[in-house]
Amino acid sequence: MSEAIVEQVKKYLTGSIPITPISQGAEAVVFTTEVHPYLPKADNQPSTKYIIKYRPPKQYRHPTIDKTLTKHRTLSESRILSKLSSLPGLNVPKLIACDVYNGCIWLEFLGENLPNGAGFSNLKNFLWMNSSDPYNKTVESTLFKVGEQIGLLHWNDYCHGDLTTSNVVLVRDGESWAPHLIDFGLGSSSTLVEDKGVDLYVLERAIVSTHSSFAEKYNKWIIEGFSSVYQSKGKKGNQKLKDVINRFQDVRLRGRKRSMIG
Amino acid sequence: MLVTSLPQFHEYSIYVYLFCDVKNSAELRGKVAELPFALIDASAICSREQLFSAIYKTILENTYNRIRTKSLNSECILSLSPTSNIGEAFRRFGINEHSSNIVCLAIVPKSDAFDSNLALKVVDGEELDFSDENLATRFKIDVIKKVCY
Ligand SMILES: Nc1ncnc2c1ncn2[C@@H]1O[C@H](COP(=O)(O)O)[C@@H](O)[C@H]1O
Repeated sequence: MSEAIVEQVKKYLTGSIPITPISQGAEAVVFTTEVHPYLPKADNQPSTKYIIKYRPPKQYRHPTIDKTLTKHRTLSESRILSKLSSLPGLNVPKLIACDVYNGCIWLEFLGENLPNGAGFSNLKNFLWMNSSDPYNKTVESTLFKVGEQIGLLHWNDYCHGDLTTSNVVLVRDGESWAPHLIDFGLGSSSTLVEDKGVDLYVLERAIVSTHSSFAEKYNKWIIEGFSSVYQSKGKKGNQKLKDVINRFQDVRLRGRKRSMIG
Repeated sequence: MLVTSLPQFHEYSIYVYLFCDVKNSAELRGKVAELPFALIDASAICSREQLFSAIYKTILENTYNRIRTKSLNSECILSLSPTSNIGEAFRRFGINEHSSNIVCLAIVPKSDAFDSNLALKVVDGEELDFSDENLATRFKIDVIKKVCY
């Protein structure tokens, strides 16, 4: 990770907030910290972690435009998260703080390290971890619940925009796992079936490309979970489900065609 | 009384007091403009987190010169509100003549003098710890629903 960016963030946060870098993407750098941005210390359990997501200034953009864009994107991600948090049943990280002037948001840290060095508990690592017994009950129920999360998101007319297997984080819930959706940097409020079809397609591709031998069943379970949300909404739900699934299939065909040509 | 500061903004001291059975809220209501703190109706505050997220927002906005009211303390009342309507924020979160549970809040730059006993002198009520437990038994769910949605 770029030293310069880490130094910027450290300076901005002051010495009272030690940070550990965990990921650098094109858009944002992600850190963890054990210091809550505003809760009095007594409320802050020592082992609690928080996520700080920072959008660094881009040197190649005009400074004023850069500031406006950063502010816009930080605000948009925060607004979406806060709206999604209020939807019953939908699991997303809780928004803790938002500094649009510096492109920083603080989130609840989700997930844990999987046993035996299998990595962080996102869907991707979880599926890898289970590849010796790929169709076990836990895998099936977890993928069904992943589908339910996406179903809930879409039913409420929100789209994720970058639905990869790393952007689904599994949180332990007793013996089972509760999938949470993270990274709404490209998220939007949308009534378009196209956006929903693309979300489903992107996730399907992610699963096909990393877990190809098992992808067919995996995707089937996800779609079953997805469908169950719509089916619970009566006649209107069934109609909307048909529309989304049809478009998903169109997108898939189109995607195939594209890759054949390209 | 809780005295604290935010990790990112050590240059401000934060004083928070919680009072119950307040007898002189009508009188206090008339003096809000002169008192060096925000007087908040505790029936609209359900947790420390709720108040402190507003304090964070206030100090942040102040740091970037985006304050919309005339003091840090009044800005905090605005920051509590989901809308940006100042009058509405004061109606919803500020005290009224009948408030019996009151949160008294002061955000003070460390360079400024502040009499931390003033609140105890002017509020005629019983002081309690500003704790989640004490807030939880006093906030009114109907008020919260009305102010936060
Ligand atoms: N709320 C969160 N809890 C745990 N890890 C997170 C969280 N948000 C982001 N991450 C990690 O940071 C990476 C990049 O985050 P993002 O830029 O939001 O996609 C993710 O792939 C996760 O590994």
